[in-house]
Order: sequence, then C-alpha cells, then structure tokens
Amino acid sequence: MKDDPIAEVLDDLMRLDDILACMVARRNMISVMPSSEGFKPEVNQIWDNIHRAMDDVFGVIGAYSQIGLGEMEFRLQDYEVLFYVFPDTENALVAIVPALANKGLLEVELENARREILRIMEGPKKESTPKNNTEQVLTASG
Amino acid sequence: MELQVEAKIGMSRKWDAREAGREVAETAIKDLTCPPDFFLLFATIHYEKYGGFQEFLNGIWDVLPEETPLVGGTVTGFINNYGCFSRGASGLAVSSPSIDVAVGVGKNTKRNPHRAARQCAEMIQNNLKRSPYKNKFLLNFISGPVMPSIPGVGQKKYIRSGFVSKFAIKALGLSQALVQKGLGREDEIFEATVQQLPDYKMILGTSMDDHRGMKNYQFFNDKILTNAVVNLGIATDLDLDVLTTHGMKETDLHFTITKLGAQNHAICKINHQPAVPELLRLLDWPEGFLTEETMMHTILYYPISLRRNGRAVPVVMPLIMKDSIFVPCIIDDGEVSILTVSGKDLVNAVKENLHFFEGIQPEFGLFSACMTILQTLGDKTNIVQEELCKYFKDKSFLLFYSAGEGTYSPTKDITYANMSFNTAVFGHKTR
Repeated sequence: MKDDPIAEVLDDLMRLDDILACMVARRNMISVMPSSEGFKPEVNQIWDNIHRAMDDVFGVIGAYSQIGLGEMEFRLQDYEVLFYVFPDTENALVAIVPALANKGLLEVELENARREILRIMEGPKKESTPKNNTEQVLTASG
Repeated sequence: MELQVEAKIGMSRKWDAREAGREVAETAIKDLTCPPDFFLLFATIHYEKYGGFQEFLNGIWDVLPEETPLVGGTVTGFINNYGCFSRGASGLAVSSPSIDVAVGVGKNTKRNPHRAARQCAEMIQNNLKRSPYKNKFLLNFISGPVMPSIPGVGQKKYIRSGFVSKFAIKALGLSQALVQKGLGREDEIFEATVQQLPDYKMILGTSMDDHRGMKNYQFFNDKILTNAVVNLGIATDLDLDVLTTHGMKETDLHFTITKLGAQNHAICKINHQPAVPELLRLLDWPEGFLTEETMMHTILYYPISLRRNGRAVPVVMPLIMKDSIFVPCIIDDGEVSILTVSGKDLVNAVKENLHFFEGIQPEFGLFSACMTILQTLGDKTNIVQEELCKYFKDKSFLLFYSAGEGTYSPTKDITYANMSFNTAVFGHKTR
C-alpha cells in the first residue's frame, strides 16, 4: 500500500489535527487506509461501534448513490462521521472528526481529497498524477 | 512586443514550510516575462508546525527576485483559479509596465492602532506621491483578533460567571495593552488609514489562523511579524474599483442598545435589560442555550446590524461575558436589527458583487471574505470559486478568508463588515 497514491491523499488528510481517521470504503470493506501512521488513538475506543454504524450507512449509500446521493454524516457520542460518496458508486471517502470540530474548514479539504481520489481512479495508469494539485498548478495559466 | 499586465497565481500544497515557500514563488513567477512588481502571499497556519514561517519565507526568497515588494500573512483559507483550500499557501505575482508599488508596515496594532496606521500609511504616501498614475489602490492587511488567556479560565468565547466576567473585561483591556492579545482593532486602523489616504480605493483584510483565533502572522518582505499592519499601495493606469456585498437580510427582530461598555466594544444592555438574557428572549432561545460549545454553531449565524458614525455595520457576536456581548469593532448605541443569512444568500452576494464589475475587462482580482463564510459553506465554497472562474476566465484572482474585512472608495465611503465579500478588480473599462 506504500506507493498507493490514494493512500497518500489519505495521509495528507490525517495530518490535519481534527481528522481522527479517514479511509476509502464501501459496505463491509475498507478499500484504502492511510499508509503512514494509521488512525489517531482516540478513535480506537469507539471504532467497533462506528464501524457497525458505518456499514448501515453504506446500505443507504448503496441504495441512493445512483440517484445522486453525494454526502452523508452521522454523530455518535463525541464524534462525527462524514461520507463523501464517489458518484454512481457504493464507495465513499469517510472521515471521523470530533463532534465540535470546525467542520466547514475540514469539508473543504475532504472535498479536495475526494476530487483528487476521483482523478486518480479515472486515470490509474497516469504516472504523473499530481500530488495535492501541484501539477495542475504548474500547467494551468493563472 | 508591447508589454502587458501579467498576473500569475502561485500555489503550494506541500507540508514542509521551506519547500512550500519555494513552490509558491516558483509557480507564480515562472511564466512572467518580467520580474514581478509585487508579490502578495497568504498561507494557512499549518506551516507553523512544519518548519515555521521564517523557513516558509526563506523558501520564498530562495526563488523570488531580490527587492520584490512582498506583503501578506496567515489566513483561514483561500480561493484561487485552482480551487478552494483551507490548507496550503498561495501568492499573486503581478508585473506591469504601468504600475508603481509601495509597501508599508506599522507595529503594535492592538496597543496603539492609530500610530501603527499612521506609520504604515506614511510609507505608502511617501513612496507613491511622485507616481504619474492617478488610480490608487491599497490593501490594508492587519493582524486579526487573538483570544486572550484569562488566568483560571483559559481562552474562552463564552464566560458564564459574573465574577469572572467582571475580572475578564478588565483583564481584556490590560491584555490588549500589555501583551497585545484581544481585538484586532482593524476597524480603527482602517478608519485612520482612510483619513490619511482618502484618494485610494482600499480593501481591508485581517490575518487569522484556522478559525480558532489563537495566533496569526504577517509577512513584510523577508520578515515575519505579529500585531502588525502591512499595506500594499499601488498607483496604476489600470482601471480599478472595489465593492463589498454580504447577502445578509434584516429580520423583524429589532432591539435598542441602551448601554455600551469596554470602549464601545461591548453591548451591556439592550432594551434597558441585561444584554444576553434579552437577546435570548428575542431569539426565543432557552436560558443556558449558549455555551462555549454551541457558540460556534449558533450565535455566529445571527449577525446584527450595528451603527458606526451613521454607517450600517453588520457584524457577528464572537465573545460573550456573562450578560455582555462583545463585538469586533467600535459601535454606537441605538436601534439594531438582527440579521439572517443563508448559504444561497452568500452565493448570491458573490454574484451581485461580480455583476457590479461587468463593465471592467479584468486583468486580475483580489478579494477578502469572512472566515465564517468558509466555515458556513464548507465544501460548497466551490460554488463561489466557480462564479469567480466564470468572471475572471483565464485571468488570475486570489480570495483570502479573514476575520474583519471591508472596502473604501472616495465615492462609496467605508464599508466595514463581517460575513462579507470584498472585491478589488483591476482591468480596463469597457463602458
């Protein structure tokens, strides 16, 4: 998983203080996890409950993503779990954040991550996939 | 070959401060045919943990031609031609055959805002007074508010205890003067700057961190500063204009401020009643509804329209001490309206703002906007970016999020507001 560009996108998210865990997942399956440090320790105590609830939410995503379900979230105890669905699939970028985090700021970066992962998924053979939009910056005329 | 205006956006999403600095500068200047006449630089607070801002600036100066005038600072996030970001760094490099540039700096803004404003404005005035260009612009970029730490209480937005509040109000005054933690006083600096440079069109922005209000830094050439105002002054033959829009609407909830305190920064009584219980009654919120935790998700979305020198000043209420509401600027007493705003209203405010500039063929644009808008719209901020792309097409623009913003023009006077979009467009009039 070390050279997985999607894992690198998740690694970037994990560096944000309020992202406690993030992954690309679908029902009953976590497809990609961060490659470096894994989840932050405070998630461990509640992970089993969150994981069960996530699977139920993925049931809803599976049923409605084809008709445009884009985002979902739920709050469990002191945590919020945010789902950014990849269009027309049963997969989503999932992030666990503290319930009182500055969510708006995190949402901006989660959406950037979703777009980045979509670009990677659409062009898996492209070796020069830009990490963190850098290539895009270098080629566009601002 | 006729020389033209060149404006390029630089950007980096690298984590390492020095590498990010290099990349912002490289991406901004690599396509310029002439060295930049100035470089505006904004970064999120994250680089403090990944090498520090001195290293970040060192990275910039590894690449940027010596003597390029540079101002900027930390911001909550930014939008540019490439997207919306709440982490990273972005810069705007401009090169033009018909532009004169000056930068200014004033220090100790929280202790002595008028002196800082005067020092900073004089640097601009002295350096641009011989410019042949009649269109003048100023970016007034000021250190934003920093929550003071009250002994035994810490850094709080809501203090319920009356005893602690009395102590905290006094401590706030002392903190402001002694350690320069407290209100940004950007409204006072902006007013003083306008008095000194009345012919300039101006945009006001403030330096912030990631919405927490704990620290912020300003950039002035190769220096990292705190509690400073930095100015970018431009004299040019490009047409330019500025405008503030906010999208907030009046509700039918009104009240009268009957007692002010803390040098007119605190609303102590409304309708002759203690301010906070009366506000809760008006909003139909139960007693105890406001807490440190709920502040962020409730009261920030009920801005109020205050008055200052006859002007309407829509602001949020960021700090509550027992029965008093603190506001980020100096205000007058009298009638107040509670405002409301939705995500759609915010997007419409951007459309309305850009509509005003339809008579200008843009070369580049600069915006300041309230960080609460970024917090409110979250990933829907991309809608704002799409609107900006539609207007600017392949021309560069840079929007930064701050905490206290506004504009001034000799024809429209001062507009200071929270939750607002503030635009400066440089280009050529088409009608």
